[in-house]
Amino acid sequence: MAISLSARHITKRYGGVLALSDGNLEVRSGEVVALMGANGSGKSTLSKIITGVVAPNQGQLLIDGDETRFTHPRMARALGITAVYQELSLIPDMTVAENIWLRHEPRFLGFSLNPFEMRARTSALLALFKGAVSAALEPGTQVKSLSPGERQIVEILKALSTNPRLIILDEATASLDNQQVGKLFELVKAWKADGMAVVIVSHRMDEILRIADRASVLRNGKTVYDEQLANTDEHTLISQMVGETVVQELKTLGSSKEPTERAIRLEMQDVAARTLRGISLTLRDGELLGLGGLQGQGQTDLLLAIFGALPHTGVIQIEGQPVNFRHPSDAMQHAVAFVPGDRGTEGLLLSRSILDNFLLPSWRRFGFPLRMDEARTVAKHTAKDLSVVMAELDAPVSSLSGGNAQKVVIGKWLMREPKLLLLNDPTKGVDVGAKGEFYALLNRLRAAGTAILFYSSDDEELLSLCDRVLVLHDGRQAAELHGEALTRAHLVAASMGTEG
Amino acid sequence: MTGLVLRRIISRHSYLFALLLLVVAVLVNLRLQDNLLEVNVISRNFRNFLPLIVLVVGQSVVIIGGGIDLSAGAIVTLGNAILATLITSESSSGQILLAILLTCGAGVLAGVVNGLCVAYLRLQPIVTTYATSFIFTGVALLILPRPGGDMAAAVRSLYRSTPGGAPFTLWMVFTLIAIWLVVRSTRYGQFLFATGGKSESAYFTGIPVNFVKFSTYLWSGLFAALAALALTVNTGTGSPRSGDLLTLNSVVAVVLGGTRLSGGQGGVIGSILGVVILGLIANIISFASVDSWAQTLVSALIIIFALIGPGLVRLARKAVAR
Amino acid sequence: MNAPLSRPLTQRITSPLRRLSPPALALILAILLFLLGGVINPNFVSIASATNVIRLAAFLGIIAAGQTLVIISGGEGIDLSAGTVVTLSAILVFRITNGDDAMVPVGLAVALAVGAAIGFINGAGVMLVGIPPLVMTLGMAGVVSGTILIVTQGNLIGKTPEVMPRLISDPLLFGVPGVVFFWFLLGGAMWLLLERSGYGRRLFAIGVNRTAARLSGVRVQRMVIITFALSGMLSALGGFMLLGFSQTVFLNLGDTYLFPSIAAVVVGGTLLSGGKGSYWGTMSGALVLTLIDSLLTAVRARVPEIGEAYKLIILGVTLVILLSFYGRQRNVRG
Repeated sequence: MAISLSARHITKRYGGVLALSDGNLEVRSGEVVALMGANGSGKSTLSKIITGVVAPNQGQLLIDGDETRFTHPRMARALGITAVYQELSLIPDMTVAENIWLRHEPRFLGFSLNPFEMRARTSALLALFKGAVSAALEPGTQVKSLSPGERQIVEILKALSTNPRLIILDEATASLDNQQVGKLFELVKAWKADGMAVVIVSHRMDEILRIADRASVLRNGKTVYDEQLANTDEHTLISQMVGETVVQELKTLGSSKEPTERAIRLEMQDVAARTLRGISLTLRDGELLGLGGLQGQGQTDLLLAIFGALPHTGVIQIEGQPVNFRHPSDAMQHAVAFVPGDRGTEGLLLSRSILDNFLLPSWRRFGFPLRMDEARTVAKHTAKDLSVVMAELDAPVSSLSGGNAQKVVIGKWLMREPKLLLLNDPTKGVDVGAKGEFYALLNRLRAAGTAILFYSSDDEELLSLCDRVLVLHDGRQAAELHGEALTRAHLVAASMGTEG
Repeated sequence: MTGLVLRRIISRHSYLFALLLLVVAVLVNLRLQDNLLEVNVISRNFRNFLPLIVLVVGQSVVIIGGGIDLSAGAIVTLGNAILATLITSESSSGQILLAILLTCGAGVLAGVVNGLCVAYLRLQPIVTTYATSFIFTGVALLILPRPGGDMAAAVRSLYRSTPGGAPFTLWMVFTLIAIWLVVRSTRYGQFLFATGGKSESAYFTGIPVNFVKFSTYLWSGLFAALAALALTVNTGTGSPRSGDLLTLNSVVAVVLGGTRLSGGQGGVIGSILGVVILGLIANIISFASVDSWAQTLVSALIIIFALIGPGLVRLARKAVAR
Repeated sequence: MNAPLSRPLTQRITSPLRRLSPPALALILAILLFLLGGVINPNFVSIASATNVIRLAAFLGIIAAGQTLVIISGGEGIDLSAGTVVTLSAILVFRITNGDDAMVPVGLAVALAVGAAIGFINGAGVMLVGIPPLVMTLGMAGVVSGTILIVTQGNLIGKTPEVMPRLISDPLLFGVPGVVFFWFLLGGAMWLLLERSGYGRRLFAIGVNRTAARLSGVRVQRMVIITFALSGMLSALGGFMLLGFSQTVFLNLGDTYLFPSIAAVVVGGTLLSGGKGSYWGTMSGALVLTLIDSLLTAVRARVPEIGEAYKLIILGVTLVILLSFYGRQRNVRG
C-alpha cells in the first residue's frame, strides 16, 4: 500500500497561457495534504497532472522514487492513483452498483457480469456512509434519482472501489452536508491509518483545518508555501493564497449596515415549492437578508419560486400587491432579478459573446432593427462599472476567468436596475479577490435601496454581510438570526435543526 | 416504497409500454382476422417481419450507443444486390456460403465507413449516415442495375420450414434475443450503455468511448447484411430500392419499443416488439378494408399515437400532480 | 494527450482554410465547382448557366430557410415535415387558384396559413408533449402525406396561373428570374431576423443553453413553437415558388428537397446541435448542393456510361468530405 509521490518543478502551458510555472507537491503514505490556492492558481492543473489526465511540459513526477510519465489516466489508476471530482464520471441512467464497478465489474468466468457479487460489494461500500444517507441509496437505485450529495458519495465510493494507494479529493465536499462530511472525514482518518495517501483540494478553510496534516499553497502557478498545519494558522494560509492581507477587509466590509425604515419590497406567506415546505418572510428595500442552512434545505427553491421559475403555493407580494409569477419574464417586469450559482449551466451562454450575455434579458429595449450602437454603449458602461477584465465585447464569454464571468452574470441584471435581487450562492468557485469586489458591490446596491435576498453556503459570508439571516432546515425556517444572535454557533446549530 | 420499486422495474424494462401496445394490436388484429394465431399464419407473418427484425437489432445497438444509422436500409439494398447477383438456383452450398460471407463482409465494411466518420471524425450521425446511404445505394446499383436474381430453392425451403413445430423464422428471433442478452451481460454491454448515457462520464471512467461508438456501426452494418439475407430469401429476388422504407421503419420500431433516441437505455427486445406492432398495424389496416386512399393517413396517425403515447402519459401525470 | 485521429499533413493544408467563416468557404467551394463545370463542358460557364444554377438554388434555399431556424433553435431541432409541406402547399395553390391570376394572393395566404398551422402542431408536440423533433416531424410528414392522399384521392386537379411563372421562374429583370431577386430579399430579411431582432438573439440563446435562457427571461416554449410555425410557413412559401417553376404538381414534389435542405444548412456552417449558424451559410450551401447536382448531370451528358449509380456515390462522398470540414462535433475530452 505504501506510496510516495513527488512532483517537482512542474510547468504546464495551455496555448499561450502558463497555468503552472513551478508546481510542487510531496505526498507520502498515511498523510493528508491540503492543496490550496485561489482560482487560477494552478491547483486543478497540478491535480490533473498527478492523475494523468494532462501531461506536463516540464518537470519531474516521481512515484515511489521512479520517474514516471503518464500518457493516459488509466496509467495513473494502474499505479493506484485515483481522483474524485465533482460528479464528473457518473452515468445518470445506470444504477449505483453499475456506476461504482464500471470498467472493473466482477465477472463470472472472466466473461459475463456477476450481479450478485456486484450487489454484495456495493452494499459493503455503502455501509461506510450508513446513517448519513437516505434509505433510497441502494445498489439498485438509478443515480439520476439521487440527491447531489448522495451522487458525490457514489463518486467517492467509485474511487474507493479501485483500492487506491493515493486518493485525491478535488472539491469533493461541495455537495455534502455536515453529517456526510463528518462520515467522510472519519473514513479519511481510517484510510490514513491503513497507509493511504490523501490529497484534499478545497476552498473550505474549516475542513482543511479539521482534516489535513499539511498544507501546500499555490499562487499564480507557483508553489509558494508548504507547511505542517500544526505550525501555521488560517490567517497565514489565506495571506499566502492571495499574496496580501485581504482578510481584514472582508471583515470590515460587512459592518456598514444601518437599519433604515424603508418600504417593504417583498412579502411571503406560507410559500411552498418542491423542497420548500412553508416559508414566510418580509424584506425591505435596502435590506440584505441572508438565507442559511445546509445545502438543499429549500433555499434555491425559495429563490426560484419568487423568480417565477418554479410553481409554488402560498402568497407572494411585491410592493404590497399580490403577484403570481409563472415565468421569469413575469418577475422581470416587476424589477426582480436572479443570479444563479452555477454560472456555466444556468447563468451564461458560454459560446456567445460577452455582449450577447450582457444583453440577453434586455434586447426588447433596443427596438427593431436592434440599435446595436446603443446596446454596445450600455454594455460597455456596465462592464466598466463592474471592472470586467476582457479583451473586447465580442469575445466569447468563455474566455473570461471565473470572477469576471460572474460579473457578466450580475451585470446583465444590474443594467436593468432591479429593485429585488435574488442571489443563489453566487460566490461559489470565485476567488478571494473577486469576492471582495462582489461584497463591495452588494453594499453599494444596498445603500442605493435595492432589496437583496442572498443564499450562501459560506457561513462566513453570511455572518459578515447580512443584517439578518434566515436559517432553513428541512424546507422550513429553523431560526431568524440578527444582531447579537447572528453568530457562527447559532448559525450552525440552527442549520442542524436544533434550537441554538 | 412499492412506488419506487415499480418505477425501477419500469425504467429497467423499457419495453413494457410496447408490450401493452402489442397486446392491443394482437387483440384488434384477431378480431379482424380470426386465424391470426394459427401456425401457418404466424409463420407467414414472421417471414415478412424477419428482415426488419434483424435490421432493428443493429439499429438498436447504434441508438443505445448514442448514434443513429440512417444508411441501414441502403446497406440492406447493397446486401440484397450482392446476394441476388451471386446466388442462383444452380449455386452449390459452398458458393452460397461464400456469397453470404461476402455480403456480411460488405455490411461490416459499410459499418466501418459509418463508424470512422461518426466516431473518429466526429461527424454528426444523422446527416452523415444519410450521406453514406447514397454511397451504398449507388454501389448497389452498380452491382445490380435491374431487378433480377433467382434464389436457390434449398435456402428458400429452409426459410419456410417449421422445425419442432415453430416457424424457422421464430427460432431466429429467439436466437437474436439470446445474442442480445449475452452481449448485455458483458462488460462491453455496460460500456455501450455508459457511452450512450453520458459519454463524458464514460470517458473519465476510462472507457474507450470512440471505439465503442465505432463498434456500434459495425454491428449495424453486419445486421443490415443479415437482414438483406432474410429479405433476399423471402422475396427470392433482388431489387435496387428494396431497402428505402426499411430505414424509416427501423427507427420507428426502435422508438415504439421504448428506446430513447438520445441513447443510454432501452434494448433489442422492445425494438423487436416494435416491428411486430408495425406489422400488425399494417395487417389491421388492410383487413379493416380501410379506403385505399386513407391507408397512409390512418397508418401515420396510429404510429403517431403510439409514439407519443409515453409522452401523453407523462403529461397527464404532471397535470394530475398539480 | 490523446491526439484525435488526424493526419498532420492534411491539417496543415486545410488549417488556413478553416479560419474562414463557413459561409465564405462554402461560397468559394461553389465558385470552384462552377469553374470545374466549365472544364467538363465549356458551355457550362456562362451567364445563362449561372443564372439557371442560382435560380434552382433559390428554390432549395427558400425551403431551407425554415430548416435553418429550427436547427439553430437547438434541442435536436429538425423539421422532417418540410418536404410534405412543400407538396401540400403547391397542391393547395394549384387547386385554389385554378389558373386565375386574381386568386394567387388567396392561394398564397391559405398555403402560408396551413404551413404555419402544421408547424405550430410540430412545435406543440415537441414542447408541450415532449416528443423529440425527429420523431414528431417525421410523424407529421406521414400525416400530411396521408391527408394529401385522402383529400385528393390521387386526383391532382387545378392549374397554375400565368402570373406565377412569369414572376417567379421566367426572366424578369435583366434576364434574371423573380425568384432570385426574392431569394436575396429573403436573405436580407433572414439576416435582420437572426442578427438584428430580439427574436433572433433569443433564438441563438435557446440553441446554446435553454436553462440559462429561461432564467434570463426567454420564453423558451413560445420561441420553439413560433420557430416551428415559421418553418412550416417558409416551407409553404417554398412550395408556392416551386409551383411557379414546375407549373404542375405531383405527389412527391417536395420529397427531393427535404434532405438537401438539411444538408444545405449543415454545409453552410450551422451546427446541428444548435446555437450557431446563419442564413448566408444556408444560401451558400444551397448553391453548393445545386452545383454538385448540375455538375453530375453535366458529367453524365458527356459520359453516358456514368449512370445514376455513380451520381449517388459521388454525391454521398462529396457530402461526407464537406461535413468533415465543419460538421465536426466537440471532442469528448472537451
